[in-house]
Amino acid sequence: MTKRRILPRVALGFVGAALSLAISPAEAQQTDRAKQIGGKLLCGVGTPICQCNQILTQCNHVGCQNSTAMLKTLDKRVAKGEPEETILQGFVQEFGTAVLSEPPKTGFSLVAWIMPFFYLIGGAILVVFVINRWSKRPQQRLATPNHAPAVSADYLERARAQSARETDD
Amino acid sequence: MDVFGSFALVLAFVCASYALVGGICAIRTRHPLLVKSTRQAGIATCGLIFVATFSLFYLFFSDNYGVAYVAAHSNRDLSSFYKVAALWSGQEGSLLFWSFLLAIYVFSVLIAYRHKNGELMPYVGVVLAGVQLFFLTLNNFIASPFKSLGVAGANGAVDLVARSDGSGLNPLLQYPEMVIHPPNLYSGYTGFTIPFAFALAALLARYPGEKWIHLTRKWTMIAWAFQSAGILLGAHWAYAVLGWGGYWGWDPVENASLLPWLSGTAFLHSVMMQEKRGMMKVWNVWLVFCTFLLCILGTFLTRSGVVSSVHAFAQSNIGPWFVGFLVLTILVCLGAYWKNKDYLASENQLDSVVSRESSFLFNNLVLLVSCIAVLSGTLFPVFSEWFTSNRISVGPPFFNKVMIPIGLLLLFLTGVGPLLAWGKTSTESLKRNFGWPSIIGLISGALFFALGVREFYALLCFMLCVFVALTIFMEFYRGAKVIRSRGGASLIESAFDLTMRNTRRYGGYIAHMGMVLIFVGLAGAAFNRDVQKEVELGTVIQIAPYDLHVQGFDTKAEKNYTADRLIIEVMKAGKPLMMLYPERRNFPANQENGTMVAIASSAVHDLYVVYAGRNPETGLPVVHVYLNPLVKWIWFGGMVVVFGTLVALLPNRRAVLVVAAGTQPATDSSTLTPALAQHSILKEGHD
Repeated sequence: MTKRRILPRVALGFVGAALSLAISPAEAQQTDRAKQIGGKLLCGVGTPICQCNQILTQCNHVGCQNSTAMLKTLDKRVAKGEPEETILQGFVQEFGTAVLSEPPKTGFSLVAWIMPFFYLIGGAILVVFVINRWSKRPQQRLATPNHAPAVSADYLERARAQSARETDD
Repeated sequence: MDVFGSFALVLAFVCASYALVGGICAIRTRHPLLVKSTRQAGIATCGLIFVATFSLFYLFFSDNYGVAYVAAHSNRDLSSFYKVAALWSGQEGSLLFWSFLLAIYVFSVLIAYRHKNGELMPYVGVVLAGVQLFFLTLNNFIASPFKSLGVAGANGAVDLVARSDGSGLNPLLQYPEMVIHPPNLYSGYTGFTIPFAFALAALLARYPGEKWIHLTRKWTMIAWAFQSAGILLGAHWAYAVLGWGGYWGWDPVENASLLPWLSGTAFLHSVMMQEKRGMMKVWNVWLVFCTFLLCILGTFLTRSGVVSSVHAFAQSNIGPWFVGFLVLTILVCLGAYWKNKDYLASENQLDSVVSRESSFLFNNLVLLVSCIAVLSGTLFPVFSEWFTSNRISVGPPFFNKVMIPIGLLLLFLTGVGPLLAWGKTSTESLKRNFGWPSIIGLISGALFFALGVREFYALLCFMLCVFVALTIFMEFYRGAKVIRSRGGASLIESAFDLTMRNTRRYGGYIAHMGMVLIFVGLAGAAFNRDVQKEVELGTVIQIAPYDLHVQGFDTKAEKNYTADRLIIEVMKAGKPLMMLYPERRNFPANQENGTMVAIASSAVHDLYVVYAGRNPETGLPVVHVYLNPLVKWIWFGGMVVVFGTLVALLPNRRAVLVVAAGTQPATDSSTLTPALAQHSILKEGHD
């Protein structure tokens, strides 16, 4: 083989090696952008291969065919400079919405985002209402709705005294 | 021994059935012999469960591979240490272990109160027998750990076989924490059965006052301490074994353990309202009901396969049984409440919004919202599939976004609540208690910002941690100063004396301080860094101040596994610092691999090195290095929380006893014991 023939092959080999390194799963996490987008995806969705359900870039199962393939795709798309939304949509088309690590903020999924803060705000309003109501309530009201005493104050006092004697609290 | 264990379980089932049915009859007839016999049946049930559990331990230690459960979860080379853990590594064994821990609690309660609380104990015995009966049904008929290994023989018969060796224990469980994490967590889950039983008993018996709270306070705190320790040990196990660099992944099983902890924490706080002011009776009863129900719900979620989890080893078709038990328990609770709700009427009023009472209400609100948010997030994938036929994942980013603000609000209340006065807090008191902590908290915020902390939540968390720590410190300081002025002891001695005089209050403050330390550690996650690299001999990985030099690879053969090790020298500023040996282990018995992370931990950060294995494409070892700041604070904070809880369990050193002479009027005494008509003793109040 002449020198002229060897050189292009060696050069091609280097390019090939460089490309294979560029798309290896280990390298996919080297770019901040790949890491950031990979953080929005889950590994192991919809396949029986690796059902770890970990964040894609945190899946540490080397040889996991899911994450390896997904990270390669991610890295290729990041290298192409595709917008984040397009990259995520590509994964959704391939694996379904379950591939996203958090619910989308649209449609029914919006409920997941709203509910906790609805509980918090609704609960706070309820607590303020309860405090208001309780602060206006007459003291020592130990009565049932029809005003018949459920437990008399005297009886309750004696029960408490007995409890104090019999418990070491 | 398997027949012996199996027979013990059947007998335990019979005894528990008698304790339940006989107990109901005893409540109706009030026949003393029936009451006594049902109590003894309850004690016998526990004894028989102990026998069954020790039989299973024996089967593991005697390498009896004729028993299917032993063959599936152990092997001859497994160390004795892990043979203990093998008992709860699968469905059948873990359910028996659950019954075992519950039996320890039930046995302790039945023995401790055998001559006391005659008006409550028959009801308590019935509730406890009911819960035990459910688990014994599973142990006997649904998931028996004593089934023999068999193969289908001729004519459809089953031939018993005994394998020469077992399949081995799941490699993920072959880690020291796995020997202590499940017992802690299960002790938490099962422990909440005791306050549940007493609350339901007090409601059914219409027993007035807060006796059920006084009686169960220590049981609740023990269960809570176990649950806290179990959760943190689980987090540490995930950190050290799973090798993904984190300690909390919002996995459904993790969430399931957090749910009763959150409602249990709310209960521990709100009972003080009932003890001090006779308020929130309905709320407390339902909180303890919900805590127990959440324990069962969590078990259902993790064992039914309804939600995906890394804890797949515990999944089975056992779910419908848990649903049935859950529904039955809810119906019993609702029925008991509906019938007796008048007895739970509140006695006092609230005087001011700025008061300890209000802070407890808000504390309960935030804890409950956290609980509901975690629960709804965990179940959302199931709901989304029901409603839209489209499964939506709810992963860590969602939980972090939702739970971080809620957690910070809780941290703020941890600082504010204890320093507000019961009834009403004056402006002067607010200035005195919160002035300096607020000012120093703000100054610290400015300092952290100047030091480069730009993450909003981390900055806010550090500020709040300083604020809360100062409020706690000032409480100790003020109290100790008063004692020192009277006795002349040193400030530290005075602080110790102060703590021992009111262990519940100051133990609680210590637990709060532990939570502050945990929050500091959690905030550190905002600054995590990581590098992943394929390495060869001589490769250098740089991360922050460290240079990691790959010095070599070797293989270490142990009895139960073979480990491929990386030998890494860590250098800092050109000087050798330490050697790290991350491992990749192969377990031949079950043909599985596991990681053993190398962690160099300090108060500032953890250098966390994972040998993730070899890249199948290049054949090169893959190393993942993380620099995780402040993680150690989480583990240390956890220990402080448990220590604070233990302090709160101690009796007060000097209780003030005031004996009031005189006999009480005899009215309404029919349902109470004769002792009630004697002298009353008032004890020092707790905060």
